[in-house]
Amino acid sequence: MRVPETSVLSDDLVRDLMAVGQVDVLVGVPTLNNAGTVTSVVRAVSAAFDQYFPRDRTLLLNSDGGSTDGTPDLVRGIRHDAGTVTVSHRLRTEHRISAPYHGLPGKGSALRQILTVADLTQARAVAVLDADVTTVTPEWIAALVRPVRDQQYDYVAPIYARHPTDGLLISQIVRPLMRAAYGWEVREPLAVEFGCSTRFLTHCLGQDIWTSELARYGMDLWITGEALSAGFRSCQAPLGQRLAPSSPDRPGFPDVFAQVVGSVFGCLDVHAAYWLSRTGSDPLPVVGAEFAAPSEPPVVDAARLTQTLATDLRELQDVLKTILRPETLAALNEAVAGDRLDYTDALWVATVGEFLIAHHRGIMSRDHITRALVPLYLGRVRSFLSQYSAAAPADVDAALESLCLEFERMKPGVVAAWRETVKR
Amino acid sequence: MFQMIADAINQAGVNFVDALVRLLPRMVTTITIIAVGWLIAIFLRGVVRITLGWFKVGPRVERVGLAASLKASGLPPAESLAGSIVFWLVWIGFLISGIDVLGFASLQGLVSEFAAFVPRLIVAIVIFVIGVVTANFVWRAALLAAVNSHAPSPRLLSGAAWWLILLVAGAMALEQIGVAQTIVMTAFAIAFGSLMLALAIAFGIGAGGVARRIVEHAFREPDRPDPDEVSHL
Repeated sequence: MRVPETSVLSDDLVRDLMAVGQVDVLVGVPTLNNAGTVTSVVRAVSAAFDQYFPRDRTLLLNSDGGSTDGTPDLVRGIRHDAGTVTVSHRLRTEHRISAPYHGLPGKGSALRQILTVADLTQARAVAVLDADVTTVTPEWIAALVRPVRDQQYDYVAPIYARHPTDGLLISQIVRPLMRAAYGWEVREPLAVEFGCSTRFLTHCLGQDIWTSELARYGMDLWITGEALSAGFRSCQAPLGQRLAPSSPDRPGFPDVFAQVVGSVFGCLDVHAAYWLSRTGSDPLPVVGAEFAAPSEPPVVDAARLTQTLATDLRELQDVLKTILRPETLAALNEAVAGDRLDYTDALWVATVGEFLIAHHRGIMSRDHITRALVPLYLGRVRSFLSQYSAAAPADVDAALESLCLEFERMKPGVVAAWRETVKR
Repeated sequence: MFQMIADAINQAGVNFVDALVRLLPRMVTTITIIAVGWLIAIFLRGVVRITLGWFKVGPRVERVGLAASLKASGLPPAESLAGSIVFWLVWIGFLISGIDVLGFASLQGLVSEFAAFVPRLIVAIVIFVIGVVTANFVWRAALLAAVNSHAPSPRLLSGAAWWLILLVAGAMALEQIGVAQTIVMTAFAIAFGSLMLALAIAFGIGAGGVARRIVEHAFREPDRPDPDEVSHL
């Protein structure tokens, strides 16, 4: 076992890993006060090791950010077979380690520790899970690991079974923007769960990203973007429905929005050399059978959203006129002037594109730029839901596909503006 | 009698010519200093503009919101403004040095006073620029936070924060250059006190309902669902 000289691993963890030796499959679970949900995740991992990888050397690594609710003790203490029906018997020992991570607080440091351990133990396949999720099953782990172990994929992004009007921040900004930029049709670019190969994780560990701002909030997006832009063999794996209970400690929506959209824009900055010359988009292979999406749309009461957009727009004119082109701002003002808000695809795409360029140019604090987009996004959501909240899922899917294509049509203009900035 | 008058006039003429002879070289020196100073000031103005251009100060100034403030105040872009400030400081320095050479008793000591004033002026300018940058940043942050949290009157809140910071920065800058210190400090204290009193009255009595909504919004129970809850992620 080759121990790196400057290690992000503590001496205790290295000692534990020496005892473990090489592994075939490693599942990493970053945690921070997840006592309420981590048990079901750990049991699902144990069951997956038993059912799907009985002949493999396995390791469950819990990278903890300093939980005060006893999460690491829970991870260590859960019996392998408690609450699960074992249908096959393991031929090898399942190792389980819980260790605190060091460095900047955030998922980036936890991921770095997990990937470093995987590199050190020469794991053939790695899966990373979110400890918040209550619907993790052994099949999730199998779906993320098998394409890497058996089909030589380097990166596996998840596909969640959800109604097309669920996850609007993903479907209105993240997915279409990432698709238009990177040229790959990834259903869930914000991959909280993913699988990867040693080749890919070694590449990731070599990148100068782990101490940046992006590492705190944007690693899920960066991992996807890095796999696509660096040419690693990637695919998608259907996992099923993903449910995570809402936490009272969660940040407010504007903060979440700023983190997610700031991370997308940040990733595009990092990977500009790749995507500026990429044209069109190709589907990313799907490995495994897709799950049926829930037929019922999420309960939404968006009636209040429109009432505020006109006011918010009026209040933010001074900020928006430094970000948006005059014609875009005029079109926006016109869109909110009538009784019925019609925030069209073309106008929304122009808005996002101009915010992206403003973010790239850094015309003001980047956090302010992303926060100024919040009211516009809520207006767009309201406009979209007023048209599609009662529509059939197939119609919503068609509308989302049309939005993605609109983003692709916008790309040449954004590329030209981006290159113009570089010249300046 | 006539002889005395003629001698006096003659003496006055001699004195005038003597004075002129003594003053002429000084005047030539003064004009030379002023002219050379003007050329040096022009040169330094160019150097400052080019240097700031190299370091891309323009986009940075635009980023912190200072460019918009300069434009709104009818001032030139930051590089030109900095160049002009350097030009005038240098040229006024040479101008005063030149006048000092003439040796007028009432203008004695101007150079040393100006030399002592320049650092204070520079510090005052820096304080004010930092104040404007901070005010712009806080104004935007407050405006966005208020809009995104649906707080009432976002522009009023952010505008009040902007004026408050600018007022403090302006008072500090004026105090630094020693312009009517007592008046400035008294005016600042009265203005600041009035503003706070006005806000307290407006917030507590005039807009009690708004105050209650803001406090309720700030301290609402965390697990109460938002009325506009939408599945975003």
